[in-house]
Amino acid sequence: MSGAGDREAVFPTRQSLGLMKSKLKGAQVGHDLLKRKSEALTKRFREITRRIDEAKRKMGRVMQIAAFSLAEVTYAVGGDIGYQVQESAKSARFRVRTKQENVSGVILPAFESYTTEGNNDFGLTGLGRGGQQIQRCRETYARAVETLVELASLQTAFVILDEVIKVVNRRVNAIEHVIIPRTENTIKYINSELDELDREEFYRLKKVANKKQRDTAAQDAEIAAKKAAASKVDSDKENESSAPDILGDQEDNDVIF
Amino acid sequence: MEGLFFNVNNGYIEGIVRGYRNGLLTGQNYSNLTQCETIDDLKLQLGPAYGDFLASLPPNPSTSTLAAKTTDKLIAEFRYLKANAVGSLAKFMDYLTYGYMIDNVALLITGTLHERDTRELLERCHPLGWFETMPVLCVATNIEELYNSVLIETPLAPYFKGSLSHQDLDELNIEIVRNTLYKNYLEDFYHFVNTDSDMANTPTSEVMSEILEFEADRRAINITLNSFGTELSKADRKKLYPSFGRLYPEGSLMLSRADDIEGVRLAVDGVNDYKTYFDATGMGQNSGPGAGNMSGGPGGEGKSLEDMFYQKEMEISKGAFTRQFTYAIVYAWVKLREQEIRNITWIAECIAQNQKERIGNYISVF
Repeated sequence: MSGAGDREAVFPTRQSLGLMKSKLKGAQVGHDLLKRKSEALTKRFREITRRIDEAKRKMGRVMQIAAFSLAEVTYAVGGDIGYQVQESAKSARFRVRTKQENVSGVILPAFESYTTEGNNDFGLTGLGRGGQQIQRCRETYARAVETLVELASLQTAFVILDEVIKVVNRRVNAIEHVIIPRTENTIKYINSELDELDREEFYRLKKVANKKQRDTAAQDAEIAAKKAAASKVDSDKENESSAPDILGDQEDNDVIF
Repeated sequence: MEGLFFNVNNGYIEGIVRGYRNGLLTGQNYSNLTQCETIDDLKLQLGPAYGDFLASLPPNPSTSTLAAKTTDKLIAEFRYLKANAVGSLAKFMDYLTYGYMIDNVALLITGTLHERDTRELLERCHPLGWFETMPVLCVATNIEELYNSVLIETPLAPYFKGSLSHQDLDELNIEIVRNTLYKNYLEDFYHFVNTDSDMANTPTSEVMSEILEFEADRRAINITLNSFGTELSKADRKKLYPSFGRLYPEGSLMLSRADDIEGVRLAVDGVNDYKTYFDATGMGQNSGPGAGNMSGGPGGEGKSLEDMFYQKEMEISKGAFTRQFTYAIVYAWVKLREQEIRNITWIAECIAQNQKERIGNYISVF
């Protein structure tokens, strides 16, 4: 506990105590929820990491095959077809669309690849020789691009999730290590202040009671003294008069025969 | 008789070409190359054959620069031969370059069609197909200008004239243009070797006819196989078949009607060689893995049809050297050399990409 310094600036009143208590409760619930979210995200994150690993390995293999099929084309065609392919490609055959996926409130973009059918821009390339190799090479590269798209969507998810997990963890930690202790501190402070006030009040009351008692005692004493003085004067007077009232309040001595 | 005065003009060239032929890599060399672990090793192994040309390469060069450098050697030697050639041999060598020229012009047409700066394309052109007036073609900004300057400036004019108009360049697929040109070129070349007074009825016309007929058939078969599943109609396809060759005319007709690989197989049934290839590649059965697979490719084992064709081409080329007093050896040497460059590139690719299991896919005939 970092002492009295780390608390919120509130007046130690019962109302703020109530506020603080509900705040603490809210913080705890929030902490629980966030913790669970962070765990869900982390789980997803682990899974994505694993899939990225797989996809990368797959990409390595596919790209190797693709590069090799290009070597085959070079061998079969015996020349450079790059320019011709570049120029005769008019519209994209292989396209990518995105959709969104919701993982515990985080929106992850997912890329999806699809090919438009019947789009065969350089179908005639290598007509004289090597056409088959070129078509096969194209298919191989299409597969490679597919893998790349998959990897791209995983990587994007990876980056976004990483960011979100960081933020969530920061929040969890902030709640756990700052907000909750501070609220607790505040509650404690308020409690201690209130206790202090209580004690003061009690002491004051006690003091007042004492005083009152003392005052009453003094008054009583005074009254008693006055009374005593008055009765003395009376008795003196009676003594002086020395005429005991037979019918007075003095009991007659029982006459014993 | 043809040998009587052959050496007066062409003896030197023939000697040189035979010397070059002996410089080609042998099976022993190739098996050494396949043992290499890195491109640098490969470079070292190629040292005796390509020393000067590979010397300037940085350590671990890319396969494409390797291929470019080995091509450079071919070009340099070819130019030397061409500089020494006279008379009909010079003409013959010009014809040899027309095939590459067609590729270059097709490249420039593609560039012009898409309104690119065609000057950048000049360096992509095959050096063998380079002709002096080629930069002039880059001046053309639209396809009509280009068509006119092609007609005026290039030796290819006869191939354009009559079969292609400038609208065709715009509308037809460039591959169809290229193959139309190539068909015309093959026919013209065939005509040339069989009618030229220096070549008719000599070993040259014999050997060259065989080579060109094979080339024509190969193109016809390839075009047919490659056009399945594309928008190329049968009528258009028929126009691309050269009008000579061992398949012509019955085989070509049947090819033009073929709908699938089975149809192609039926069409080539008449020619034993091609029939054997189809049987060997397993394309005779309908379960064939698809045409043109490289051997060992996905789904294909053994040799592919393309491999078979290359193999056959190399064998014909090798056979050409058994004849004397013929120009055909120049053609054969260029083809052998090209195959060698492809082989080296292939082996280099296999080494670079660590795919050793298919490194033996080269074609070696010596």
